[in-house]
Amino acid sequence: MQRRYRTIKDLKINESAKAIAFEDSNLACKLTSMGVLPGTRIEMIRTSPFGSAYYVKADGVRLALREEEAASILLEI
Amino acid sequence: MAHLKFMHGDGDSHPLKIALIGNPNSGKSTVFNQLTGLRQRTGNFPGVTVEVKEGTIHFPNGQEAVLYDFPGTYSLYPTSSDEKVVATVMCNPADPFFPDVLLYVADVTKLEKHLLLFTQLLDLKLPMVLALNMADSAAGLGIKINSQKLSEIFGVPVVPISGRTGHNTMRLLLEMEKLVTQNASIVRSPFYSFTESEKQVAEAVRLNLSIEEPYRALLTAHHASWLPFLKNAEKETVAAILDTKKFQSLRAQVDETLERYDRFTPITQAAISTPPAFPNTGTDRIDAILTHRVWGPTIFFLVMLLVFQAIFDWSTYPMDWIEQGFAMLGEFFTSKLPAAWYTELLTDGILAGLGGILVFVPQIALLFFLISILEEIGYMSRVVFMFDKTMRRFGMNGRSMVSLISGSACAVPAIMSSRTISNWQERLITVMVTPFISCSARIPVYLVLIGLAVPAIKIAGVFNLQSLVFGAMYLLGLLTAFLAGWAMKRWLNRREHSFLAIELPVYRMPHWKNVLLNVWENVRSFIAGAGKIILIVSIALWALSRFGPGDAIAQAEKSALVEAAEKGKDTTATEDLVQQRRLEASWAGQAGKWMEPAIRPLGYDWKIGIALLTSFAAREVFTGTLAVLYNMGDQEADITSRSETEAKATLRQKMKAEKFSDTGKPVYSLATALSLLVFYALAMQCFSTLAVVRRETGNWKWAGLQFVFMSMLAYLAAWAVYVLFS
Repeated sequence: MQRRYRTIKDLKINESAKAIAFEDSNLACKLTSMGVLPGTRIEMIRTSPFGSAYYVKADGVRLALREEEAASILLEI
Repeated sequence: MAHLKFMHGDGDSHPLKIALIGNPNSGKSTVFNQLTGLRQRTGNFPGVTVEVKEGTIHFPNGQEAVLYDFPGTYSLYPTSSDEKVVATVMCNPADPFFPDVLLYVADVTKLEKHLLLFTQLLDLKLPMVLALNMADSAAGLGIKINSQKLSEIFGVPVVPISGRTGHNTMRLLLEMEKLVTQNASIVRSPFYSFTESEKQVAEAVRLNLSIEEPYRALLTAHHASWLPFLKNAEKETVAAILDTKKFQSLRAQVDETLERYDRFTPITQAAISTPPAFPNTGTDRIDAILTHRVWGPTIFFLVMLLVFQAIFDWSTYPMDWIEQGFAMLGEFFTSKLPAAWYTELLTDGILAGLGGILVFVPQIALLFFLISILEEIGYMSRVVFMFDKTMRRFGMNGRSMVSLISGSACAVPAIMSSRTISNWQERLITVMVTPFISCSARIPVYLVLIGLAVPAIKIAGVFNLQSLVFGAMYLLGLLTAFLAGWAMKRWLNRREHSFLAIELPVYRMPHWKNVLLNVWENVRSFIAGAGKIILIVSIALWALSRFGPGDAIAQAEKSALVEAAEKGKDTTATEDLVQQRRLEASWAGQAGKWMEPAIRPLGYDWKIGIALLTSFAAREVFTGTLAVLYNMGDQEADITSRSETEAKATLRQKMKAEKFSDTGKPVYSLATALSLLVFYALAMQCFSTLAVVRRETGNWKWAGLQFVFMSMLAYLAAWAVYVLFS
């Protein structure tokens, strides 16, 4: 079966995609209140020095996300 | 939590309260500092360890009000203990922090992100002023704001301000004054229209708990399970309502948030004209280096080296001045006042205690000066990003790195620096494990003991064995700190949702007023909060070593004088002997003898016991006490200063000659010395640290636990080392 979405974890450096939905409702609460909404374009900037965290840009806002947080944000293909 | 009745209407009896609220990175604290200046102090919200800054402001008409700086918050649907405070207060009009007027600060360059919480607060129908901060940067970026239009749409006064330059501060005060004096009831149609199920739930909660505002009722419905002021019966009532209505709280929260964005985004777009794009490439270029895989951590450790240098080295100059100043003051009083117990109380108890407090001030001030700058420019959130995973394994936060590294100079400022960690559990673990890091007060103890026990031979022709052991002591502290963090994380194991998800703000120059006020506030709260305890303990320890049971001290003094006369000693030698015998006869001496059976398994005699007790005021007192007990002259005894190697050598000789009174074996065998080393590395032998832990965690529970845990660990480890080497 073909996947209909991917997550931030799948983004390459400098690649960007639109967010569609959030898998984790607690995180959804946090991210939406920070202004990361469905439809926001998310760009991967870099991974943290020791791995497992991502530096992303969402609509001009720079954010640091943990691996599992990044994995719960669904992006359009 | 204390419940004060909300005294609306009876004028002067309740001070006017204004809540300063806004998103993190909205420049809220700059506005706070601009409005209050030095008229501010830091406290805690009752029951939780979330800080609230409190300051006094004066309206143009002379009226006074209290301004509360609430923690930076994104939403009334909280995801951290900081944010929960704001929701708790806003849900409870009886809360002592519940404001009469809200001052909402939004960063005008990010207005489309900063209005969510604002629209939520609008629906609580409190008098509110919207301050559009960073109006100066907005003008620089070519952003034009139509504040008149925003004011008409939202129905609140809107003032573009600059917290940095102080632009429009007066107008802001005037608008707040107007709201206060008019005291008009607020007629506002709700910004957010409830869905059908929200309507039903809010109405049911409203009627059952007699809440006036529908939106407050809805918030109460969402948060009932953890709101601290609700009675259990009320919680059950709300739970039953949610259950019968099959209300999906989280889902509804997200939907409401999205709906609010949909409503205010067009409003901000209409009121603000933004030039096509302002990409802030400066921040991107800086971050390409500062958060780089290799350069990021490298630069961080260089910065930490600077911080370490500042508190370990630079601060020793003012610390020496303070110590010398207090020593001179003590000598002055000793020479002017009669030789009586109250003179000693003044010099050895009170002055020593005050000196013991003030001596920390240079370190605290320097550390907070540097940390405030790092925080102000926006670097700290990058540190969190880089070290999140490493530290999280051990129950801590990226920011804990700063505390741990500072801890190698002194645990007192280091523990205070954990204030920047917003997650309570991570902060607690940082506070609990930081004292394991070997601080500079342990150095004299290490030096004496290593010199005594470890031969000065070279290993592999290069490494001095003594330096290796010295390094091993630091490693022992570090490893224990991480292990303890890991264990505590397992033990606490709160199921509280923990997020990284932080904003990495745009780099900007530090605002020096914020930096200096922050330094001042931390120094002040140390003196006021922990200082008192340090002074009391200093006096208590003095009394313990000054007084003894019955006339034991007088007897000891008499027999010492007789003994000295028999041996034909000169005046100084006689005085030293008297001092030694008096200490032995004092309560502290008695306690040392009394506890000998307990510490004998570690290889210590009662004299070491006395030194363990007295060094509870500060570790470096250990060597000083031993110097008195081993009857060293005054000049010889001054070994706390690092240059006095000769004095250390003398003390070492005396220590080598010490023998157990019953067995006649030397006290300081290799096993005893190593066991003492390990004991000092791990034990909580510092009352100042305990006082600060109490201050930072809000009660004695964690300080007590830390003391018991560290002492037990030190005891067991020291015992194991003694058994292993003897």
